[in-house]
Amino acid sequence: MTDEAPTDGPAPKTIEAFAHPAGSIAVGVPGGATGWRGTVLNIHIAPAASYEMEELTEAHCVAGRGIKGDRYYLGNGTYSPKPDTREISLIEQEALDAMSRNDPPLQGGPIKLLPGDHRRNLTVRGVPLNHLVGRRFRVGDVILRGGRLSFPCKYIEELLGQPVYLPLYNRAGLNCGIERGGVIRPGDVVEMLG
Amino acid sequence: MSARIIMKLKVEAAVATTPDIVRLSLVHPHRPTLPLWEPGAHVDLRLPDGRVRQYSLCSDPADLGRYEIAIKREDLGRGGSVWAHANLLEGSTAHVSHPRNNFPLQDDAIRHVFVAGGIGVTPFLAMAHSLAARRQEYELHLCARAPTHAPLLSELRAVCGDKLRCWYSSEARRFDPDVLPRPQAGVHIYACGPQSLMDSLQSDLKKKGWPLDQVHVEHFGALDDENFAPEPFDVLIKSTGRAVHIPAERSLLDVLREEGFRMSSSCGIGVCGACECGYSDGTVIHRDVVLASAKRHDRMIPCVSRAKGRLTLLL
Repeated sequence: MTDEAPTDGPAPKTIEAFAHPAGSIAVGVPGGATGWRGTVLNIHIAPAASYEMEELTEAHCVAGRGIKGDRYYLGNGTYSPKPDTREISLIEQEALDAMSRNDPPLQGGPIKLLPGDHRRNLTVRGVPLNHLVGRRFRVGDVILRGGRLSFPCKYIEELLGQPVYLPLYNRAGLNCGIERGGVIRPGDVVEMLG
Repeated sequence: MSARIIMKLKVEAAVATTPDIVRLSLVHPHRPTLPLWEPGAHVDLRLPDGRVRQYSLCSDPADLGRYEIAIKREDLGRGGSVWAHANLLEGSTAHVSHPRNNFPLQDDAIRHVFVAGGIGVTPFLAMAHSLAARRQEYELHLCARAPTHAPLLSELRAVCGDKLRCWYSSEARRFDPDVLPRPQAGVHIYACGPQSLMDSLQSDLKKKGWPLDQVHVEHFGALDDENFAPEPFDVLIKSTGRAVHIPAERSLLDVLREEGFRMSSSCGIGVCGACECGYSDGTVIHRDVVLASAKRHDRMIPCVSRAKGRLTLLL
């Protein structure tokens, strides 16, 4: 099989983050953590559904579509046939750290998920993702909109061969839309916008 | 059974082991090691058109630096092996899944007896590596047309030594099942090869009184039952109470997907087990070759298996 990058093709159908049922309601709801400042630790994409995640040193983000080369940018992800907010996804390193401590002790023991394992695009530290549905925030120069919380699926549990479904519940990350595109690199600052 | 991650592996070496069999050595382009596997495991090889072929790993399971598979070119086959021979050259990229094992060594065995037909020897080379390291008793019977057409012969000789016994039809020495041991507790027989060899061996072992749970057969390529005429049936989805009709000309898997169920699948011919699901309250016509007998009373493979009348699916 040749190893050429897939051609972009037509943009897949997506739901704009603040038009998503979860994001659209949350936009008008006050509250949530402020004053935080986080960091991008790792960036990963996969070229198609089920393919191993590949680490990037920079991600080219396209507004309204996704990260160039990622399965949800190309429209060949596992869930691509069902339009949703999936332009870019984030997960907290803190959640992964807690799972590796078996905290809370919901399964047989600690589960170690590396940044290339969990299948979200950005692994971030210091970013309260569960507070960001319906909010705008920046990652470096790129502006994201929190569309809905991610939730774990049995498919990822099967793919990883680890019982991650329950321990990821309510901390599986955030699915976002890209309001302003640009390049994201590890080390970029993540901050709330008004 | 489950979905598996697909890796883009580099073909480190592609070596002809017989005139029509190539042995591929596959390494990860960025990482020094590949996922752990047990002898008997296979990987899915993805073809450019999305089709999938299964190949047993034949390298030493202790060497996680590389996977090795051997592919026989089947000029009259479905096209996958011909594509692989033409394209998976040294330096190219092979799209390969994490391993899965439907054909494990039996942990409680005191002696393992392997019978291979041609390219069916591949899982046994990996098993021989493991058993040699564990210093366990085994013997390997390899049936082939001639020494020149015996796959992986030099590797087998190196690993197995006098535990390897070759049967060459060109020398009028066809495999004689009478050389196999009599049924005995703790002895397990494993076979992999052409269906005709598997059928005659299983029939012979049954006559000799071998218990079914001491005979293990690996299939690549579903059973070809030309007389099977699919008939329509109905399923009830347990979680929703929805009734779904499966027409004669469509698979249960296809209809379930159309109904919105996200079903894993890989081979589509009943050999990989990826689409396995549970059922109750009905009679299943099992047409796969992967489910263990013990699981068939409440599990099925919907890409090929069907039902009589009405079935409740645990979805």
